[in-house]
Amino acid sequence: MRHLFGYEERSAALFLAPVMLVLMGVAVFPIFYSLYISFFRIKLTRPNRTPFVGLDNYTDLFTNELFWVSVVRTVTFSVVSVTAIAVIALLISLLLNQNFRGRRVLSTILLVPWAIPYVANALMWKWIYDSGYGALNGVLYQLDFIDKYMIWLGDQDKTIFLIANAFVWKEVPLAAILLLVSLKSIPSDLYQAARVDGAGVWQRFIHVTLPAMKPGFMLVMIYETMMAIRHFDLFFILTEGGPGDASHVLSWHIYVETFRNLSFGSGAAMSYVLALVTFALSYVFIRTLGRRI
Amino acid sequence: MARIRFENVEKKYANGFHAVKDLNLEIRDKEFLVLLGPSGCGKSTTLNMIAGLEEVSDGSLLFDDELVNYMPPHKRDVAMVFQSYALYPHKSVYDNIAFGLQMRRAPREETDRRVRDAARKLEIEHLLDRRPSQLSGGQRQRVALGRAMVREPAVFLMDEPLSNLDAALRISMRAEIKELHQEMQTTFVYVTHDQAEALTLADRIVVMRDGVVQQIGSPGDIYERPRNTFVASFLGNPPINYIEGQIKVTDDQMVRFVQGELELNFPAETAAKLADCDGLTVLLGIRAEDVEEGSHGGAGAVLTGKVNSVLPVGSDLFLGFELFGNELFFRVGKDIGHASGDEVSLTVDLNRLHVFDKDSGASLIW
Ligand SMILES: Nc1ncnc2c1ncn2[C@@H]1O[C@H](COP(=O)(O)OP(=O)(O)O)[C@@H](O)[C@H]1O
Ligand SMILES: [Mg+2]
Repeated sequence: MRHLFGYEERSAALFLAPVMLVLMGVAVFPIFYSLYISFFRIKLTRPNRTPFVGLDNYTDLFTNELFWVSVVRTVTFSVVSVTAIAVIALLISLLLNQNFRGRRVLSTILLVPWAIPYVANALMWKWIYDSGYGALNGVLYQLDFIDKYMIWLGDQDKTIFLIANAFVWKEVPLAAILLLVSLKSIPSDLYQAARVDGAGVWQRFIHVTLPAMKPGFMLVMIYETMMAIRHFDLFFILTEGGPGDASHVLSWHIYVETFRNLSFGSGAAMSYVLALVTFALSYVFIRTLGRRI
Repeated sequence: MARIRFENVEKKYANGFHAVKDLNLEIRDKEFLVLLGPSGCGKSTTLNMIAGLEEVSDGSLLFDDELVNYMPPHKRDVAMVFQSYALYPHKSVYDNIAFGLQMRRAPREETDRRVRDAARKLEIEHLLDRRPSQLSGGQRQRVALGRAMVREPAVFLMDEPLSNLDAALRISMRAEIKELHQEMQTTFVYVTHDQAEALTLADRIVVMRDGVVQQIGSPGDIYERPRNTFVASFLGNPPINYIEGQIKVTDDQMVRFVQGELELNFPAETAAKLADCDGLTVLLGIRAEDVEEGSHGGAGAVLTGKVNSVLPVGSDLFLGFELFGNELFFRVGKDIGHASGDEVSLTVDLNRLHVFDKDSGASLIW
């Protein structure tokens, strides 16, 4: 009897099987299980009563005021962060694409924030922003920009931007490297051809550099948007959603609902909403930016 | 009008590499000049200096007696076709061709007319809306030509424009480029490492090696009267054969090439140039096609040796031939009936022999 798959395919399947099994357990199963429990009212404070409630967890969301606040916070945080990341990463990648002394050292230093884990990054910024002994206060005070130490994260109007700043610092390296790769992939003949054709520095940037960077740019936008929308660590460590609801983003809202209110059903429903929104956004990005590449 | 003159031009790259050395060359108006040489000899560097893409390190570069050392590319009225074609990947064929005119703010109708004109001549009208990635190599080539054509430049620069095409297309494009030159009536500077291409296209050929010009001349000149062994070896297929031996001037003023049992008498004209070379070690150069089968006598000398290999190449045969321990390659008519191991006689045309100094490689009969 001849097998449907050849020897290579069958042995590949065999080697992959253990990993697939583990993935089934830790990824695929939770995905479906959380969908399943999002249709029940599960509160660990009443573990014996878990009635099926259909779409109630979902519809309840939209009447919850704090949910809408968290949506606004998330959008603000994401738009500010992603814009800043894109612009700063673009400038840095253009800089690193030039030939100058010390370029390698600078590229290496640039990568440091990328190597720091999210939690460590958050703790670092907690120190920097600290109202008593923080570096930000220290520097600004010594430079005479402020005349007394400030409680930076206690200011409702600034909190989300300060957190965005910490997030941008962490994310820029990867984004810059991704953009740098697309810059490096531009053949130098194209610039030469454009020079002979009479294009100046700015026109070469518009007609050669930017179009070539489009795929890299799209990747950065999609990836960073997804990272920003779902980001949790900074909010958990720096502010716990505060002061008030100033940094009460969606991921924090889900955390509070699930692990503080122990309301697993509605937490799962929110997670699903967040996943769908992320998915929809990437789709929009691909459709708009991805056109005609 | 465009004459280009290099006066003692040097090119050193930032890393210190000396790519072009003491270049003196005058490119005539409306001439088709080919820069020929092996990869890395400085052809592209020279072309890029004309384009203004590379700075001249020392010496003068003049366009019609005007010093252009520091003139940026777009002011030089040159257009260039790159080996990779360098088409803008995100622009349509139309916009690729129009780009140079748009950058120069040519009127829209004028641009449109010229683009469509060029497209018609190059037979790529139906491709104007496509992207470069949707074109075949030959079509991209044409777009690159079109982009240069529409500018109607005073100087047309081409850097190995045909080397990415397959053999058949390469030959038909040669003819088209030659036609283009006749039609455009401008100066063409063409870079290639393909001697056959240079021989068919050029009005004059400049042969380069390691940044140094070896010889400048018409294709016939370069082929028939190579200045040194480098030029002699670089042109011709299969390459020229060399036999190392001595010059012997006899008492009765005969000049003779001697290698062991092999002795050849030079005809009078050649002999005169070699009169004071008695005892000199030389390389005797015999072009692959300068022999005929059989022993006709006449001005020829008969070489008798053994056939080592027979390689049919369509119209002709390449014959590997062993003569007193020398391995030689000749090109003969395909109806020669020999097989490996046969003893054959070939008549060599003594008027077409080349003689080079063994040590310097310089021609002794130039
Ligand atoms: N930007 C550069 N910096 C340093 N060396 C270069 C540069 N461009 C070319 N070269 C060197 O100069 C020599 C001539 O190059 P080129 O003119 O491109 O040769 P080719 O005759 O193949 O076109 C080569 O050895 C090449 O390595
Ligand atoms: Mg080259």
